[in-house]
Amino acid sequence: MDFGLTDEQQLLLESLDELLERECSESYIADLDATHQPPTTFRQAMNEAGFGSLGFPEEFGGTPSDALTLVMLAERVARQGLNNGYGLELLQAKDILEFGSAEQQQEILGLLAAGDVPFALGFTEPGAGSDNSAMTTSAVHHDGVVTFNGTKTLITNALQSKYLLLMAKNPDVEDPRKAISMYLVPMDAPGVTTNRLEKILWHISDSCEIFLDDVTLPESCLVGVKGNGFKQLMRNFELERLVIAANCLGMAQCAFDDAATYAAQRVQFGKPIGSFQLIQLKLTDMAIKLENIRNFVYKTAWMVDQGEPLKSQGALCKRYSAMAAFEVADEAMQIFGGVGVTIGTRVSRLWLDLRGHRFGGGTDEIMVHIAGRQIVKDHS
Amino acid sequence: MKIVVAYKWAPNPQDADVRPDGSVDWSRAKNAVSEYDPVAFELARRLADATGGEVVGLTVGAASIDTPLARKAALSRGLDRLVMVADDALAGADGTRLAGALAAAVRTIGDVDVVLAGDSSVDVAEGQVAMTLAGELGWLGLNAVSGVTAGDGGVVVERDLPSGVATLAVTGAVVLAASSDAVVARVPGMKDILGAAKKPVEVLALGDLAVPATEVALVTLATAKPDAGARLGVVLDGSDPAAAVAQLVGALRQARAL
Amino acid sequence: MNVTSQSWIVVSDDPAVSALVEAARLLGTEVVALVVGRREVAEQTAHAGVDRVVWLGEPADGTPVEAFAGEVARIIADAAPRVVLGAATPAGRVLLGAVAARLHAPVLAGIGSVELAGDQVVVARTVLGGIAEHRTAVSGGTAVLTLAPGTSADATGAPVAIEEVAATPTTGATITDVRVKEQTKVDLGAARTVVAVGRGLKSREDLALVTDLAEAVGGEVACSRPLAEGVDWVAKERYVGISGQHIAPDLYVAIGISGQLQHMVGVRGAKVVVAINSDKAAPIFAQCDYGIVGDLYQVVPALTAALGAGA
Repeated sequence: MDFGLTDEQQLLLESLDELLERECSESYIADLDATHQPPTTFRQAMNEAGFGSLGFPEEFGGTPSDALTLVMLAERVARQGLNNGYGLELLQAKDILEFGSAEQQQEILGLLAAGDVPFALGFTEPGAGSDNSAMTTSAVHHDGVVTFNGTKTLITNALQSKYLLLMAKNPDVEDPRKAISMYLVPMDAPGVTTNRLEKILWHISDSCEIFLDDVTLPESCLVGVKGNGFKQLMRNFELERLVIAANCLGMAQCAFDDAATYAAQRVQFGKPIGSFQLIQLKLTDMAIKLENIRNFVYKTAWMVDQGEPLKSQGALCKRYSAMAAFEVADEAMQIFGGVGVTIGTRVSRLWLDLRGHRFGGGTDEIMVHIAGRQIVKDHS
Repeated sequence: MKIVVAYKWAPNPQDADVRPDGSVDWSRAKNAVSEYDPVAFELARRLADATGGEVVGLTVGAASIDTPLARKAALSRGLDRLVMVADDALAGADGTRLAGALAAAVRTIGDVDVVLAGDSSVDVAEGQVAMTLAGELGWLGLNAVSGVTAGDGGVVVERDLPSGVATLAVTGAVVLAASSDAVVARVPGMKDILGAAKKPVEVLALGDLAVPATEVALVTLATAKPDAGARLGVVLDGSDPAAAVAQLVGALRQARAL
Repeated sequence: MNVTSQSWIVVSDDPAVSALVEAARLLGTEVVALVVGRREVAEQTAHAGVDRVVWLGEPADGTPVEAFAGEVARIIADAAPRVVLGAATPAGRVLLGAVAARLHAPVLAGIGSVELAGDQVVVARTVLGGIAEHRTAVSGGTAVLTLAPGTSADATGAPVAIEEVAATPTTGATITDVRVKEQTKVDLGAARTVVAVGRGLKSREDLALVTDLAEAVGGEVACSRPLAEGVDWVAKERYVGISGQHIAPDLYVAIGISGQLQHMVGVRGAKVVVAINSDKAAPIFAQCDYGIVGDLYQVVPALTAALGAGA
């Protein structure tokens, strides 16, 4: 079993190290977090170096790559202390490249190249979170146009995005699996209003309510096939769970390294606190969890690359990674003590941001729902 | 325009262990593109893009410099192709011998207009080989180069010298050693890294090249680890800055350093 | 290859050659200076304590001294001296590179001292970026050495005659412009106290912390390589390190500098080294007399205050 990096992975990570050093210092991240701004210059630098088109088909200026390379790069960016800094927007853009019209593809690629987030994913509603088929936002096709009505909430990066990738239902179709279609809606279309929600975490990404009031657009805003929206979205879902897990892994590693360094330097009772057994116990168990998360994430990515059916592997991986990563950050906070909650120590930012991933991208409990049923089914 | 980038694949002395007797253990150190070479790759690529030219990478050394990773690491820096001479007869070779091998390779590549190099190598750090290469080729050599652009019948070179910034119009073949702050070299991009394995590599046999034999020999009479001066090594905990500073100032005053 | 007992020094553009002459005297029975550049350089070299001056004539307008590298190599090869010494400067390296190529001889650099052992030139030098010291003997031909050239000679004593020889530049290059740099002359080598800063500094604005300390302690500001090149916050002339300034002040305060050897070789001769760094494992703590492991943003202002209050 070869756990080594390929030459290409090694060189990519070296380039990424250099880019992060130049364009993504801790003071840069801390500043964005404090002012609730997106990491636009960093994204632009990543795109200039070609990282923004990893895994895209060649005809779109991309270079085909594999899931393992993607998770390694996502992990490394997260290890810098930046939440959701790389990977997710790539996968979402892939949805458009696969299913969108030629105009939609060009539009999205152009936005990515400029370092922008091409679109916000508009799925969740006040009454439809984990139970996403309960969504009610309607899309009525008539006379060559589509009219949307409804409310979306907790939409990430709505203010940074030019478009909303809207999931909306045909009110005439009963089966939710067949009713939902995917649309590319400009955020500035008449009838679209946004309300920013104040949060305690993920400050670099805004979260908004979006109200759609008789928003009417030409039918060409449809992405892919009418009624196929759900399937189109699910296409890259497993990969998204994997990237979220890699993001959690990187940030947990960052928190761990900070805490271990602190423990080695902080002197109390005449010794570094790292020489006390209770601290060593924490650090040891944190190291074990990080090793587990890493193996889980890399193995799952390997399965994707081998073309093996994941079944519930993605759910298992996401559940464990998000939960264990948060535990690592929580113990890191404990090791830091009072210093950890002062502005200027990043561990509290990592702790907050990691807490969000236990429900973002699929809750811990929904992962049980997915995996638990699969396990029983496999054993009957 | 045909541009050769002469670079080094070498370890960083920072990672070497020097024994008390002055002998050096390189086992923990890994080879990489020498720290001061990326600027040469960057200037070469920009010049080639401006003139519709070609960038050929060139490196010489012991057999161990030819590995798949080494080839890709160079090819991912904007090269169109790579030429190398990897022969253990060059292990431990002095700078003039290396310059001789480089010159022979440049002549084999043929029709080269400009050779670009870093100003010094990470492992030897004497800033000499590129200009000795110019001497071997019989070409003009210019160092402290802070910029190069295409010019009438040649290139226009900017040099940042202690006496001032000089601009020179150069016609004819030239070897340029670029200072490491000439430009900020781009980070090897994803496309270049993932496409590196497909680019052509030519390995020249040392035996086929006319490299002049060294006439002057160096005999090492003694080696030693530099005496760091037996520093006191009094290290204070700065978590109480005022207290640590008071202690420091007291000690410095006693030692008459302040 | 047979060599004479002469020492030749190559001088170009700058007549500050005291160290070259001194070494040449030690190594040879006759010191010949080969001068490339303006007549005034030849004239000043004639006062530098050499036995002969050979001058390649006034270069035509706009011809760089580097264009005469081939001629320098030819003349030196014909003379076959025991040793050729040149300046460890940009032009010096170009000229000596041509000499080395012509003579098939390595160029020795990083030289600390030279001596003559019988007929052999022996040098003490640092190698491999400064991590080791070697005592090296040269055999089989001319020794080619580069060293820090030294200072200008006083114009005392009778100058020697200048022998002008014809020389045609062998390559085509024309200087079209020279912009003299507006910079405050920094003599880091003369400063008794130097306060240096490295990558631990987060932003250019924070340099004020460092300059405040330098003022309080009456010293000059210096830096490690990344601050002079990567981010360009501090003038290049203040960069201390293997390819920058080599200094030996009475007191050297290194702030946010990790202590990499490429930097530390530039300050080996300092009497007292003080380090301030937040990383307990930074190599500099093994190379300092006094160190504080702490946040420079707190320690440096505290130090400035402590020095200001009650001198």
